[in-house]
Amino acid sequence: MSPLRRFLRAPEAVAGAILLSALMAMALSASLLFPSDPQAIAGPALLPPFQDWSLPLGTDRLGRDVLAELFHGARTSLAVGLAAAAASLAIGAVVGTLAGFAGGLVDEVLMRITDAFQTVPGFLLALAFVSVVGPSLGAVVIAIALGTWTGPARIARAEVLSIRERDYVASARAIGMHPLEIAFREVLPNALPPVLAMSSVIVAAAILTEAALSFLGLGDPNRVTWGGMIAEGRTVLRTAPFLSIVPGMALVLTVLGVYLAGEGIVETTAVRRGLS
Amino acid sequence: MSLLAASNLTKRYRRGGKTVIAVDDVSFHIEPGETLALAGPSGSGKSTIARLALRLIEPDAGRIEFEGGDFLALRGATLRARRARLQMVFQDPLAAFNPRATVARALDDPLRIHGIASRGERPRRIAELLERVGLPADLASRAVHEISGGQRQRVAIARAIATKPSLIVLDEAVSALDVSVRGQILELLLDLQREQKIAYLFISHDLGVVRAVAHRIILLDAGRIAESGEARAVVDAPRSAIGKALVAAAPRLDRSIRHNAP
Repeated sequence: MSPLRRFLRAPEAVAGAILLSALMAMALSASLLFPSDPQAIAGPALLPPFQDWSLPLGTDRLGRDVLAELFHGARTSLAVGLAAAAASLAIGAVVGTLAGFAGGLVDEVLMRITDAFQTVPGFLLALAFVSVVGPSLGAVVIAIALGTWTGPARIARAEVLSIRERDYVASARAIGMHPLEIAFREVLPNALPPVLAMSSVIVAAAILTEAALSFLGLGDPNRVTWGGMIAEGRTVLRTAPFLSIVPGMALVLTVLGVYLAGEGIVETTAVRRGLS
Repeated sequence: MSLLAASNLTKRYRRGGKTVIAVDDVSFHIEPGETLALAGPSGSGKSTIARLALRLIEPDAGRIEFEGGDFLALRGATLRARRARLQMVFQDPLAAFNPRATVARALDDPLRIHGIASRGERPRRIAELLERVGLPADLASRAVHEISGGQRQRVAIARAIATKPSLIVLDEAVSALDVSVRGQILELLLDLQREQKIAYLFISHDLGVVRAVAHRIILLDAGRIAESGEARAVVDAPRSAIGKALVAAAPRLDRSIRHNAP
Protein backbone atom coordinates (compact mmCIF):
# COMPACT_ATOMS: atom_id res chain seq x y z
CA MET A 1 0.00 0.00 0.00
CA SER A 2 1.38 3.41 -0.93
CA PRO A 3 2.14 5.89 1.86
CA LEU A 4 -0.51 8.26 0.47
CA ARG A 5 -3.23 5.60 0.64
CA ARG A 6 -2.18 4.72 4.17
CA PHE A 7 -2.26 8.42 5.11
CA LEU A 8 -5.78 8.75 3.68
CA ARG A 9 -6.97 5.80 5.74
CA ALA A 10 -6.24 7.50 9.07
CA PRO A 11 -9.23 9.75 9.88
CA GLU A 12 -7.29 12.11 12.15
CA ALA A 13 -4.61 12.60 9.50
CA VAL A 14 -7.28 13.42 6.91
CA ALA A 15 -8.94 15.86 9.33
CA GLY A 16 -5.55 17.53 9.88
CA ALA A 17 -4.89 17.69 6.16
CA ILE A 18 -8.31 19.27 5.53
CA LEU A 19 -7.75 21.90 8.23
CA LEU A 20 -4.30 22.65 6.86
CA SER A 21 -5.53 22.92 3.28
CA ALA A 22 -8.30 25.26 4.42
CA LEU A 23 -5.70 27.41 6.15
CA MET A 24 -3.51 27.45 3.06
CA ALA A 25 -6.49 28.29 0.86
CA MET A 26 -7.26 31.19 3.20
CA ALA A 27 -3.68 32.41 3.12
CA LEU A 28 -3.40 32.13 -0.66
CA SER A 29 -6.78 33.68 -1.45
CA ALA A 30 -6.48 36.54 1.06
CA SER A 31 -5.40 39.18 -1.42
CA LEU A 32 -7.83 37.92 -4.08
CA LEU A 33 -10.92 37.93 -1.87
CA PHE A 34 -9.94 40.96 0.17
CA PRO A 35 -7.74 43.03 -2.12
CA SER A 36 -8.04 46.21 -0.06
CA ASP A 37 -5.99 46.85 3.08
CA PRO A 38 -7.40 44.63 5.86
CA GLN A 39 -6.43 47.31 8.36
CA ALA A 40 -8.63 49.93 6.64
CA ILE A 41 -12.00 50.87 8.07
CA ALA A 42 -14.78 49.00 6.28
CA GLY A 43 -17.94 49.81 8.20
CA PRO A 44 -19.43 50.81 11.56
CA ALA A 45 -17.43 49.84 14.63
CA LEU A 46 -18.25 46.71 16.69
CA LEU A 47 -20.72 45.26 14.22
CA PRO A 48 -21.61 41.75 15.52
CA PRO A 49 -21.17 38.74 13.18
CA PHE A 50 -23.93 37.53 10.82
CA GLN A 51 -25.71 40.91 10.75
CA ASP A 52 -24.47 42.46 7.55
CA TRP A 53 -23.60 39.95 4.80
CA SER A 54 -21.06 42.25 3.23
CA LEU A 55 -19.20 41.97 6.55
CA PRO A 56 -20.06 38.37 7.60
CA LEU A 57 -17.96 38.24 10.76
CA GLY A 58 -18.67 41.82 11.70
CA THR A 59 -16.17 44.56 12.50
CA ASP A 60 -13.81 45.35 15.33
CA ARG A 61 -13.46 48.37 17.59
CA LEU A 62 -12.24 50.54 14.71
CA GLY A 63 -14.69 49.20 12.14
CA ARG A 64 -12.26 46.89 10.33
CA ASP A 65 -13.58 43.80 8.54
CA VAL A 66 -12.91 40.79 10.84
CA LEU A 67 -13.15 38.22 8.04
CA ALA A 68 -10.57 40.09 5.95
CA GLU A 69 -8.32 40.33 8.98
CA LEU A 70 -8.74 36.62 9.62
CA PHE A 71 -7.74 35.74 6.04
CA HIS A 72 -4.72 38.04 6.08
CA GLY A 73 -3.79 36.81 9.56
CA ALA A 74 -3.70 33.24 8.21
CA ARG A 75 -0.86 34.37 5.95
CA THR A 76 1.21 35.67 8.82
CA SER A 77 0.59 32.64 11.00
CA LEU A 78 1.44 30.22 8.21
CA ALA A 79 4.46 32.17 7.01
CA VAL A 80 5.90 32.59 10.49
CA GLY A 81 5.12 29.02 11.50
CA LEU A 82 6.75 27.46 8.44
CA ALA A 83 9.70 29.84 8.28
CA ALA A 84 10.48 29.50 11.99
CA ALA A 85 10.22 25.71 11.85
CA ALA A 86 12.41 25.57 8.75
CA ALA A 87 15.01 27.84 10.35
CA SER A 88 14.93 25.88 13.60
CA LEU A 89 15.27 22.50 11.85
CA ALA A 90 18.06 23.81 9.62
CA ILE A 91 20.07 25.27 12.53
CA GLY A 92 19.42 22.19 14.66
CA ALA A 93 20.37 19.73 11.93
CA VAL A 94 23.60 21.57 11.06
CA VAL A 95 24.70 22.06 14.69
CA GLY A 96 23.76 18.48 15.62
CA THR A 97 25.56 17.03 12.61
CA LEU A 98 28.74 19.04 13.20
CA ALA A 99 28.77 18.16 16.91
CA GLY A 100 28.12 14.46 16.37
CA PHE A 101 30.42 14.06 13.40
CA ALA A 102 33.38 16.12 14.59
CA GLY A 103 33.31 14.86 18.18
CA GLY A 104 35.87 16.01 20.74
CA LEU A 105 36.18 19.71 21.49
CA VAL A 106 33.79 20.86 18.73
CA ASP A 107 31.12 18.53 20.13
CA GLU A 108 31.74 19.78 23.69
CA VAL A 109 31.48 23.45 22.71
CA LEU A 110 28.42 23.08 20.49
CA MET A 111 26.54 20.97 23.01
CA ARG A 112 27.29 23.36 25.88
CA ILE A 113 25.89 26.18 23.72
CA THR A 114 22.84 23.99 23.10
CA ASP A 115 22.51 23.44 26.86
CA ALA A 116 22.68 27.18 27.45
CA PHE A 117 19.87 27.84 24.97
CA GLN A 118 17.81 25.00 26.36
CA THR A 119 17.94 26.24 29.94
CA VAL A 120 16.46 29.63 28.97
CA PRO A 121 12.68 29.41 28.42
CA GLY A 122 12.05 29.73 24.70
CA PHE A 123 9.35 32.35 25.01
CA LEU A 124 11.49 34.56 27.23
CA LEU A 125 14.29 34.33 24.69
CA ALA A 126 11.92 35.31 21.88
CA LEU A 127 10.54 38.17 23.95
CA ALA A 128 14.02 39.49 24.73
CA PHE A 129 15.19 39.15 21.14
CA VAL A 130 12.20 40.96 19.61
CA SER A 131 12.29 43.75 22.16
CA VAL A 132 15.98 44.36 21.37
CA VAL A 133 15.86 43.99 17.57
CA GLY A 134 12.43 45.51 17.09
CA PRO A 135 9.21 43.91 15.88
CA SER A 136 9.35 42.75 12.27
CA LEU A 137 8.37 39.50 10.62
CA GLY A 138 12.01 38.43 10.17
CA ALA A 139 12.85 39.21 13.80
CA VAL A 140 9.87 37.16 15.00
CA VAL A 141 10.93 34.21 12.87
CA ILE A 142 14.51 34.32 14.20
CA ALA A 143 13.26 34.83 17.76
CA ILE A 144 11.12 31.70 17.58
CA ALA A 145 13.86 29.65 15.90
CA LEU A 146 16.30 30.66 18.67
CA GLY A 147 14.12 28.96 21.25
CA THR A 148 13.32 25.78 19.30
CA TRP A 149 16.48 24.64 17.49
CA THR A 150 17.91 22.76 20.47
CA GLY A 151 15.50 19.80 20.21
CA PRO A 152 16.34 19.06 16.57
CA ALA A 153 20.05 19.56 17.35
CA ARG A 154 20.03 16.91 20.09
CA ILE A 155 18.12 14.41 17.98
CA ALA A 156 20.34 15.01 14.95
CA ARG A 157 23.49 14.56 17.06
CA ALA A 158 22.28 11.27 18.56
CA GLU A 159 21.44 9.96 15.09
CA VAL A 160 24.77 11.12 13.64
CA LEU A 161 26.70 9.40 16.44
CA SER A 162 25.28 6.07 15.33
CA ILE A 163 25.56 6.77 11.59
CA ARG A 164 29.19 7.88 11.65
CA GLU A 165 30.31 4.38 12.66
CA ARG A 166 28.65 2.77 9.63
CA ASP A 167 30.66 1.21 6.86
CA TYR A 168 29.46 3.63 4.22
CA VAL A 169 30.97 6.53 6.14
CA ALA A 170 34.25 4.59 6.34
CA SER A 171 34.09 3.94 2.61
CA ALA A 172 33.44 7.61 1.93
CA ARG A 173 36.60 8.39 3.89
CA ALA A 174 38.47 5.66 2.06
CA ILE A 175 37.66 7.19 -1.34
CA GLY A 176 39.05 10.49 -0.04
CA MET A 177 35.86 12.50 0.45
CA HIS A 178 36.22 15.77 2.34
CA PRO A 179 34.98 15.50 5.97
CA LEU A 180 32.45 18.30 5.47
CA GLU A 181 31.07 16.60 2.39
CA ILE A 182 30.82 13.33 4.34
CA ALA A 183 29.00 15.12 7.17
CA PHE A 184 26.49 16.95 4.99
CA ARG A 185 26.06 14.60 2.04
CA GLU A 186 26.48 11.12 3.50
CA VAL A 187 25.51 11.51 7.15
CA LEU A 188 23.02 14.39 7.46
CA PRO A 189 20.41 13.16 4.92
CA ASN A 190 20.28 9.80 6.68
CA ALA A 191 19.96 11.45 10.10
CA LEU A 192 17.04 13.65 9.01
CA PRO A 193 13.90 11.45 9.31
CA PRO A 194 13.68 11.51 13.14
CA VAL A 195 14.49 15.24 13.10
CA LEU A 196 11.75 15.97 10.56
CA ALA A 197 9.31 14.03 12.73
CA MET A 198 9.53 16.96 15.14
CA SER A 199 8.50 19.51 12.54
CA SER A 200 4.76 19.43 13.24
CA VAL A 201 5.32 20.11 16.93
CA ILE A 202 7.67 22.97 16.07
CA VAL A 203 5.33 24.54 13.51
CA ALA A 204 2.47 24.40 16.01
CA ALA A 205 4.62 25.89 18.77
CA ALA A 206 5.89 28.59 16.41
CA ILE A 207 2.36 29.65 15.44
CA LEU A 208 1.41 29.88 19.12
CA THR A 209 4.57 31.80 20.03
CA GLU A 210 3.97 34.25 17.19
CA ALA A 211 0.40 34.79 18.42
CA ALA A 212 1.65 35.30 21.96
CA LEU A 213 4.25 37.86 20.82
CA SER A 214 1.60 39.72 18.82
CA PHE A 215 -0.75 39.58 21.77
CA LEU A 216 1.91 41.37 23.81
CA GLY A 217 2.29 43.92 21.04
CA LEU A 218 5.62 42.60 19.78
CA GLY A 219 4.38 41.36 16.42
CA ASP A 220 5.02 43.09 13.12
CA PRO A 221 2.76 46.20 13.40
CA ASN A 222 2.29 46.36 9.63
CA ARG A 223 0.68 42.96 9.43
CA VAL A 224 -2.57 41.59 10.71
CA THR A 225 -1.95 38.68 13.06
CA TRP A 226 -4.37 36.51 14.97
CA GLY A 227 -2.55 37.21 18.21
CA GLY A 228 -2.86 40.92 17.55
CA MET A 229 -6.58 40.52 16.86
CA ILE A 230 -7.09 38.73 20.18
CA ALA A 231 -5.20 41.49 21.97
CA GLU A 232 -7.32 44.07 20.19
CA GLY A 233 -10.53 42.28 21.22
CA ARG A 234 -9.43 41.90 24.83
CA THR A 235 -10.42 45.48 25.69
CA VAL A 236 -14.04 44.80 24.67
CA LEU A 237 -14.17 41.20 25.87
CA ARG A 238 -17.41 41.67 27.80
CA THR A 239 -19.38 43.51 25.12
CA ALA A 240 -17.95 41.94 21.95
CA PRO A 241 -16.40 38.56 22.86
CA PHE A 242 -16.51 37.37 19.22
CA LEU A 243 -13.55 39.66 18.46
CA SER A 244 -11.33 37.40 20.59
CA ILE A 245 -13.20 34.16 20.03
CA VAL A 246 -13.02 34.19 16.21
CA PRO A 247 -9.21 34.49 15.88
CA GLY A 248 -8.84 32.23 18.93
CA MET A 249 -10.81 29.49 17.18
CA ALA A 250 -8.74 29.98 14.05
CA LEU A 251 -5.56 29.48 16.10
CA VAL A 252 -6.88 26.36 17.80
CA LEU A 253 -7.97 24.79 14.50
CA THR A 254 -4.69 25.67 12.80
CA VAL A 255 -2.51 24.20 15.54
CA LEU A 256 -4.75 21.14 15.67
CA GLY A 257 -4.55 20.76 11.90
CA VAL A 258 -0.76 21.07 11.80
CA TYR A 259 -0.40 18.60 14.63
CA LEU A 260 -2.78 15.97 13.25
CA ALA A 261 -1.38 16.16 9.72
CA GLY A 262 2.18 15.99 11.06
CA GLU A 263 1.38 12.98 13.23
CA GLY A 264 -0.29 11.34 10.25
CA ILE A 265 2.83 11.78 8.12
CA VAL A 266 5.08 10.46 10.88
CA GLU A 267 2.83 7.45 11.41
CA THR A 268 2.70 6.52 7.74
CA THR A 269 6.44 6.89 7.22
CA ALA A 270 7.13 4.96 10.44
CA VAL A 271 5.04 2.06 9.18
CA ARG A 272 6.86 2.14 5.88
CA ARG A 273 10.27 2.09 7.57
CA GLY A 274 9.15 -0.68 9.88
CA LEU A 275 8.10 -2.89 7.01
CA SER A 276 11.22 -2.50 4.90
CA MET B 1 60.94 -1.81 -2.48
CA SER B 2 57.71 -2.90 -0.88
CA LEU B 3 54.42 -1.33 -1.91
CA LEU B 4 53.26 -1.18 1.70
CA ALA B 5 55.45 -1.83 4.71
CA ALA B 6 53.98 -1.73 8.19
CA SER B 7 56.31 -2.03 11.12
CA ASN B 8 55.57 -2.55 14.80
CA LEU B 9 51.92 -1.52 14.52
CA THR B 10 50.13 -1.37 17.86
CA LYS B 11 46.54 -0.42 18.56
CA ARG B 12 44.88 -0.43 21.97
CA TYR B 13 41.25 0.17 22.83
CA ARG B 14 39.91 1.25 26.17
CA ARG B 15 36.73 -0.59 27.10
CA GLY B 16 35.17 0.24 30.44
CA GLY B 17 38.45 1.07 32.15
CA LYS B 18 40.24 -2.01 30.79
CA THR B 19 42.74 -1.71 27.98
CA VAL B 20 42.38 -4.23 25.19
CA ILE B 21 45.33 -4.63 22.85
CA ALA B 22 43.74 -5.24 19.44
CA VAL B 23 47.00 -5.23 17.46
CA ASP B 24 50.27 -5.92 19.22
CA ASP B 25 53.57 -5.09 17.51
CA VAL B 26 52.64 -6.39 14.04
CA SER B 27 54.97 -5.93 11.07
CA PHE B 28 54.34 -7.01 7.48
CA HIS B 29 54.93 -5.91 3.91
CA ILE B 30 53.09 -6.26 0.62
CA GLU B 31 54.83 -6.33 -2.77
CA PRO B 32 53.27 -4.82 -5.91
CA GLY B 33 50.76 -7.17 -7.52
CA GLU B 34 50.89 -9.59 -4.59
CA THR B 35 48.06 -11.02 -2.50
CA LEU B 36 48.81 -11.13 1.21
CA ALA B 37 46.23 -12.90 3.33
CA LEU B 38 45.50 -12.02 6.93
CA ALA B 39 43.74 -14.90 8.64
CA GLY B 40 42.81 -15.68 12.19
CA PRO B 41 39.86 -16.26 14.50
CA SER B 42 37.35 -13.51 15.37
CA GLY B 43 38.92 -10.81 17.49
CA SER B 44 42.44 -11.61 16.35
CA GLY B 45 42.87 -8.08 14.96
CA LYS B 46 42.43 -8.71 11.23
CA SER B 47 39.95 -5.92 10.61
CA THR B 48 41.79 -3.53 12.91
CA ILE B 49 44.93 -4.01 10.82
CA ALA B 50 42.91 -3.36 7.66
CA ARG B 51 41.56 -0.13 9.07
CA LEU B 52 45.02 0.90 10.30
CA ALA B 53 46.49 0.29 6.85
CA LEU B 54 43.79 2.53 5.35
CA ARG B 55 44.15 5.11 8.12
CA LEU B 56 40.48 4.85 8.96
CA ILE B 57 41.86 4.58 12.51
CA GLU B 58 45.23 5.74 13.78
CA PRO B 59 47.78 3.36 15.34
CA ASP B 60 49.15 3.98 18.87
CA ALA B 61 52.62 3.04 17.69
CA GLY B 62 54.40 1.88 14.56
CA ARG B 63 55.12 3.04 11.04
CA ILE B 64 53.39 2.57 7.70
CA GLU B 65 55.27 3.20 4.48
CA PHE B 66 53.14 3.30 1.35
CA GLU B 67 54.60 3.68 -2.15
CA GLY B 68 57.88 4.80 -0.63
CA GLY B 69 56.49 7.57 1.61
CA ASP B 70 55.58 7.85 5.27
CA PHE B 71 51.82 7.22 5.11
CA LEU B 72 51.19 8.20 8.72
CA ALA B 73 52.69 11.66 8.20
CA LEU B 74 50.09 12.66 5.62
CA ARG B 75 47.39 15.09 6.67
CA GLY B 76 44.26 16.71 5.18
CA ALA B 77 44.22 17.21 1.44
CA THR B 78 47.45 15.29 0.74
CA LEU B 79 46.12 12.30 2.67
CA ARG B 80 42.82 12.43 0.81
CA ALA B 81 44.62 12.60 -2.53
CA ARG B 82 46.81 9.64 -1.54
CA ARG B 83 43.73 7.57 -0.68
CA ALA B 84 43.10 7.14 -4.41
CA ARG B 85 45.95 4.59 -4.46
CA LEU B 86 44.66 2.57 -1.52
CA GLN B 87 41.11 1.29 -1.63
CA MET B 88 38.87 -1.01 0.35
CA VAL B 89 36.04 -3.48 -0.23
CA PHE B 90 33.90 -4.27 2.79
CA GLN B 91 32.32 -7.51 3.94
CA ASP B 92 28.70 -6.38 3.84
CA PRO B 93 28.13 -4.66 0.49
CA LEU B 94 24.79 -3.27 1.65
CA ALA B 95 26.29 -1.47 4.65
CA ALA B 96 29.15 -0.14 2.54
CA PHE B 97 26.91 2.14 0.46
CA ASN B 98 24.90 5.13 1.47
CA PRO B 99 21.30 3.83 1.69
CA ARG B 100 20.22 6.65 -0.61
CA ALA B 101 22.87 6.09 -3.26
CA THR B 102 22.30 4.95 -6.80
CA VAL B 103 24.96 2.85 -8.51
CA ALA B 104 25.89 5.85 -10.67
CA ARG B 105 26.38 8.13 -7.66
CA ALA B 106 28.46 5.56 -5.81
CA LEU B 107 30.83 5.33 -8.78
CA ASP B 108 30.69 9.03 -9.59
CA ASP B 109 32.09 10.07 -6.18
CA PRO B 110 35.66 8.71 -6.56
CA LEU B 111 35.89 9.96 -10.16
CA ARG B 112 34.77 13.43 -9.12
CA ILE B 113 36.79 13.69 -5.90
CA HIS B 114 40.06 12.72 -7.54
CA GLY B 115 39.36 14.67 -10.72
CA ILE B 116 39.74 11.55 -12.82
CA ALA B 117 37.09 12.50 -15.36
CA SER B 118 35.22 15.68 -16.21
CA ARG B 119 31.51 15.93 -15.47
CA GLY B 120 30.56 15.19 -19.08
CA GLU B 121 32.93 12.27 -19.32
CA ARG B 122 31.88 10.54 -16.10
CA PRO B 123 28.75 8.68 -17.32
CA ARG B 124 30.90 6.95 -19.95
CA ARG B 125 33.57 6.10 -17.35
CA ILE B 126 30.91 4.72 -15.02
CA ALA B 127 29.58 2.51 -17.83
CA GLU B 128 33.14 1.29 -18.51
CA LEU B 129 33.68 0.47 -14.85
CA LEU B 130 30.41 -1.45 -14.66
CA GLU B 131 31.30 -3.36 -17.78
CA ARG B 132 34.75 -4.16 -16.37
CA VAL B 133 33.23 -5.82 -13.31
CA GLY B 134 30.74 -7.73 -15.45
CA LEU B 135 27.63 -5.67 -14.90
CA PRO B 136 25.29 -4.14 -17.52
CA ALA B 137 25.73 -0.38 -17.96
CA ASP B 138 22.02 0.29 -17.45
CA LEU B 139 22.42 -0.79 -13.82
CA ALA B 140 23.80 2.71 -13.18
CA SER B 141 20.39 4.27 -12.64
CA ARG B 142 19.31 1.68 -10.06
CA ALA B 143 19.45 2.24 -6.31
CA VAL B 144 22.19 0.24 -4.60
CA HIS B 145 19.70 -1.38 -2.21
CA GLU B 146 17.64 -2.71 -5.12
CA ILE B 147 20.30 -4.89 -6.73
CA SER B 148 21.44 -8.33 -5.58
CA GLY B 149 24.24 -8.95 -3.08
CA GLY B 150 26.61 -10.27 -5.73
CA GLN B 151 25.94 -7.29 -8.01
CA ARG B 152 26.42 -4.95 -5.07
CA GLN B 153 29.83 -6.44 -4.30
CA ARG B 154 30.75 -6.00 -7.97
CA VAL B 155 29.75 -2.33 -7.69
CA ALA B 156 31.93 -2.07 -4.57
CA ILE B 157 34.85 -3.50 -6.55
CA ALA B 158 34.12 -1.07 -9.41
CA ARG B 159 34.22 1.78 -6.90
CA ALA B 160 37.52 0.52 -5.52
CA ILE B 161 39.20 0.27 -8.94
CA ALA B 162 37.77 3.61 -10.17
CA THR B 163 40.80 5.51 -8.86
CA LYS B 164 43.33 3.00 -10.25
CA PRO B 165 44.70 1.94 -6.87
CA SER B 166 47.89 -0.05 -6.35
CA LEU B 167 46.49 -1.79 -3.25
CA ILE B 168 42.98 -2.89 -2.33
CA VAL B 169 42.12 -4.09 1.15
CA LEU B 170 39.50 -6.83 0.92
CA ASP B 171 37.97 -7.13 4.39
CA GLU B 172 36.10 -10.47 4.27
CA ALA B 173 34.98 -9.28 0.84
CA VAL B 174 33.59 -12.64 -0.25
CA SER B 175 32.52 -14.06 3.13
CA ALA B 176 28.94 -12.76 2.99
CA LEU B 177 28.29 -14.05 -0.53
CA ASP B 178 26.84 -17.43 -1.42
CA VAL B 179 29.22 -20.02 -2.76
CA SER B 180 28.50 -19.72 -6.50
CA VAL B 181 28.75 -15.92 -6.44
CA ARG B 182 31.90 -16.14 -4.30
CA GLY B 183 33.73 -18.06 -7.02
CA GLN B 184 32.81 -15.48 -9.66
CA ILE B 185 33.88 -12.55 -7.50
CA LEU B 186 37.23 -14.23 -6.70
CA GLU B 187 37.70 -14.85 -10.43
CA LEU B 188 37.02 -11.16 -11.12
CA LEU B 189 39.49 -10.07 -8.43
CA LEU B 190 42.22 -12.33 -9.86
CA ASP B 191 41.55 -11.01 -13.38
CA LEU B 192 41.86 -7.42 -12.18
CA GLN B 193 45.08 -8.27 -10.36
CA ARG B 194 46.64 -9.76 -13.50
CA GLU B 195 45.43 -6.87 -15.65
CA GLN B 196 46.27 -3.88 -13.44
CA LYS B 197 48.98 -5.30 -11.13
CA ILE B 198 46.87 -4.50 -8.06
CA ALA B 199 48.07 -5.88 -4.72
CA TYR B 200 45.48 -7.25 -2.30
CA LEU B 201 45.46 -7.36 1.47
CA PHE B 202 43.03 -10.24 1.70
CA ILE B 203 41.36 -10.63 5.05
CA SER B 204 39.49 -13.85 5.60
CA HIS B 205 38.80 -16.57 8.11
CA ASP B 206 38.24 -19.07 5.30
CA LEU B 207 41.56 -20.87 4.80
CA GLY B 208 40.23 -22.71 1.74
CA VAL B 209 39.71 -19.42 -0.11
CA VAL B 210 43.00 -18.06 1.21
CA ARG B 211 44.92 -21.07 -0.11
CA ALA B 212 43.34 -20.60 -3.53
CA VAL B 213 44.02 -16.87 -4.01
CA ALA B 214 46.81 -15.69 -1.71
CA HIS B 215 50.55 -15.76 -2.33
CA ARG B 216 51.57 -15.31 1.27
CA ILE B 217 49.66 -15.57 4.52
CA ILE B 218 49.92 -14.14 8.01
CA LEU B 219 48.08 -15.99 10.78
CA LEU B 220 47.03 -13.78 13.64
CA ASP B 221 46.14 -14.72 17.16
CA ALA B 222 45.08 -12.19 19.80
CA GLY B 223 46.63 -9.29 17.90
CA ARG B 224 50.02 -10.96 17.32
CA ILE B 225 51.48 -12.74 14.34
CA ALA B 226 51.38 -16.46 15.09
CA GLU B 227 52.78 -17.71 11.83
CA SER B 228 53.55 -16.45 8.35
CA GLY B 229 54.82 -17.82 5.08
CA GLU B 230 53.84 -19.02 1.64
CA ALA B 231 50.05 -19.49 1.66
CA ARG B 232 49.85 -23.08 0.44
CA ALA B 233 52.64 -24.29 2.65
CA VAL B 234 51.13 -22.72 5.77
CA VAL B 235 47.59 -23.94 5.10
CA ASP B 236 48.75 -27.46 4.19
CA ALA B 237 51.09 -27.85 7.15
CA PRO B 238 50.54 -25.23 9.83
CA ARG B 239 53.13 -25.14 12.60
CA SER B 240 51.46 -22.81 15.10
CA ALA B 241 48.68 -23.96 17.43
CA ILE B 242 46.23 -21.42 16.03
CA GLY B 243 47.07 -22.50 12.47
CA LYS B 244 46.37 -26.13 13.32
CA ALA B 245 43.10 -25.16 15.02
CA LEU B 246 41.96 -23.08 12.03
CA VAL B 247 42.79 -25.82 9.53
CA ALA B 248 41.03 -28.43 11.69
CA ALA B 249 37.96 -26.17 11.93
CA ALA B 250 37.70 -25.66 8.17
CA PRO B 251 34.82 -27.78 6.84
CA ARG B 252 35.90 -30.57 4.52
CA LEU B 253 33.42 -32.69 2.67
CA ASP B 254 35.34 -35.99 2.59
CA ARG B 255 36.05 -36.09 6.28
CA SER B 256 32.52 -35.27 7.39
CA ILE B 257 31.20 -38.07 5.22
CA ARG B 258 33.64 -40.51 6.75
CA HIS B 259 32.65 -39.40 10.26
CA ASN B 260 28.97 -39.82 9.59
CA ALA B 261 29.35 -43.26 8.06
CA PRO B 262 28.21 -46.15 10.28
